[in-house]
Amino acid sequence: MDTMIKTENLRYEYSVTYEEKGKNVTKKIVALDNINIEIEKGSFVAVLGHNGSGKSTLAKHINALVRPTSGTLWINGYDTKNDEFIWDIRQSAGMVFQNPDNQIVATIVEEDVAFGPENLGIEPDEIRRRVDSAIATVHMEDFKRSVPSKLSGGQKQRIAIAGVLAMQPECIVLDEPTAMLDPEGRKDVINTITRLNKEKGLTTVLITHYMDETVGADRIIVIDDGHIVMDGSPREVLVQVEKMKSFGLEVPQVTEIAYNLRKKGIDIPADILTPEEMVGAICRLKSAI
Amino acid sequence: MIRDITVGQYYASDSAIHRLDPRVKILGTMAFVVMLFIINDIYSYAFSILALALVIAISKVPSSFIFRGIKSILFIIFLTAILNVITTKGTHILLQVGIIKVTLEGVYMAIKMVVRLIMLIIGSSLLTLTTTPIQLTDGIESLLNPFRKIGVPSAEIAMMMSIALRFVPTLLDETDKIMKAQQARGADFETGGLKQKAQSLVPVLVPLFVSAFRRADELATAMEARCYHGGNNRTRMNKMVLKGRDYKASAIIVLYIAITVAIMIIW
Repeated sequence: MDTMIKTENLRYEYSVTYEEKGKNVTKKIVALDNINIEIEKGSFVAVLGHNGSGKSTLAKHINALVRPTSGTLWINGYDTKNDEFIWDIRQSAGMVFQNPDNQIVATIVEEDVAFGPENLGIEPDEIRRRVDSAIATVHMEDFKRSVPSKLSGGQKQRIAIAGVLAMQPECIVLDEPTAMLDPEGRKDVINTITRLNKEKGLTTVLITHYMDETVGADRIIVIDDGHIVMDGSPREVLVQVEKMKSFGLEVPQVTEIAYNLRKKGIDIPADILTPEEMVGAICRLKSAI
Repeated sequence: MIRDITVGQYYASDSAIHRLDPRVKILGTMAFVVMLFIINDIYSYAFSILALALVIAISKVPSSFIFRGIKSILFIIFLTAILNVITTKGTHILLQVGIIKVTLEGVYMAIKMVVRLIMLIIGSSLLTLTTTPIQLTDGIESLLNPFRKIGVPSAEIAMMMSIALRFVPTLLDETDKIMKAQQARGADFETGGLKQKAQSLVPVLVPLFVSAFRRADELATAMEARCYHGGNNRTRMNKMVLKGRDYKASAIIVLYIAITVAIMIIW
């Protein structure tokens, strides 16, 4: 498999200046340290971490909005430190942000979707084709000519996703895309992301702190205090309830129930991730009695 | 509700004027304004008034909307009239109070200026009444494009205008939220004099500004992430194309200018 994203000893630090006892103190903060990851094309990777863990900084690195202090990051083979490739990188790794209101540029849905391709200098007819197909992909055909401010949060995020798709990227990075949405909107957005990954083979990096959203991922990377602390399939990572909690993270509700039941001495598998699996396990338990 | 405020004063309708290309309308309005400052005799005035009335009739915009713009500048119109009456020198003195002389020429001049001002306001508000802000922005961008070579950032100007338009409803929403949050904590925006009312708005404006700057920062990042790097090499999905009716309208505008000039030369 080809590699989409590769990092080698990636480190990012910044300094903050604040006042302490009437003096200005400058402190260096290490946001990311010793990050070595390799993400394959077509995979769905969830990056977990509590607030301030450095997960958003990692996301911004993938789009070359932030450059490493030391170490190297390759996106699709391009080194992000090289200015020459910056537009290639941003075209091949699109990004969706947390606040839907602050990433929509145009006053009409289809013109916003066209914003990316327009920046790439693509011919008008081709832009029209891409915009129509991107809007159809996120099922927003009925809202083509709508005003974005009249849409719901989930719909706005789907437009933002369409805006990235119209640039025909190989990878999409979503930085907490559901943090400001209601449950309905969250489900909507996550379903869209999952479908795109499965149907179009779009490499997906989902930054989140909602555990339920990571269950469908191929791989979970947990970041704590700028370091990668866990890396594996959902079944390997999410079931380590105590370890997850030590990083300030929750596990999916059913996994926690299974964990608590096992602690009470009930013989139930520890690697339950979905309600369906839980139902199955309980039924087996019942028929065994 | 604060949300219902619309940007500009667009009057939605489906008239021949509404359907015209914004560029034709902008240039037409400019031509009209220039002509207003050239015309001088009663016949060319009459012809311009007739032309304007005809355009208003075709545009199907109710007269209440047309005259709304004049209300706000009534004071300026009044002042212009007074100044013209008392400062114009002339021979036919109608009235003399102290050193102030009111002459026939002065009254004549005042009437001309007032009519000119009113036509100016009606003419330009007709443009914004029949053109959506987005169309206006696109039109201005397209018209400024030839000047890119001498350093006019036409695409950037249009981008700024359209982002401003895009954020008006967002910021109105935010203002509404902040005001409600402060009302919930006992703030009073309704009572008191003008000074008190203005003062009570300060605690609303401060968080609004802070949030607007935060939004601007995030939007800039999002635009960069989508490869925005200024107007160079940027294409547009929707190209504006002049249609038959736009050529007809342009011909009518040229005809109007020609006839007005002809009237002025003959008389």
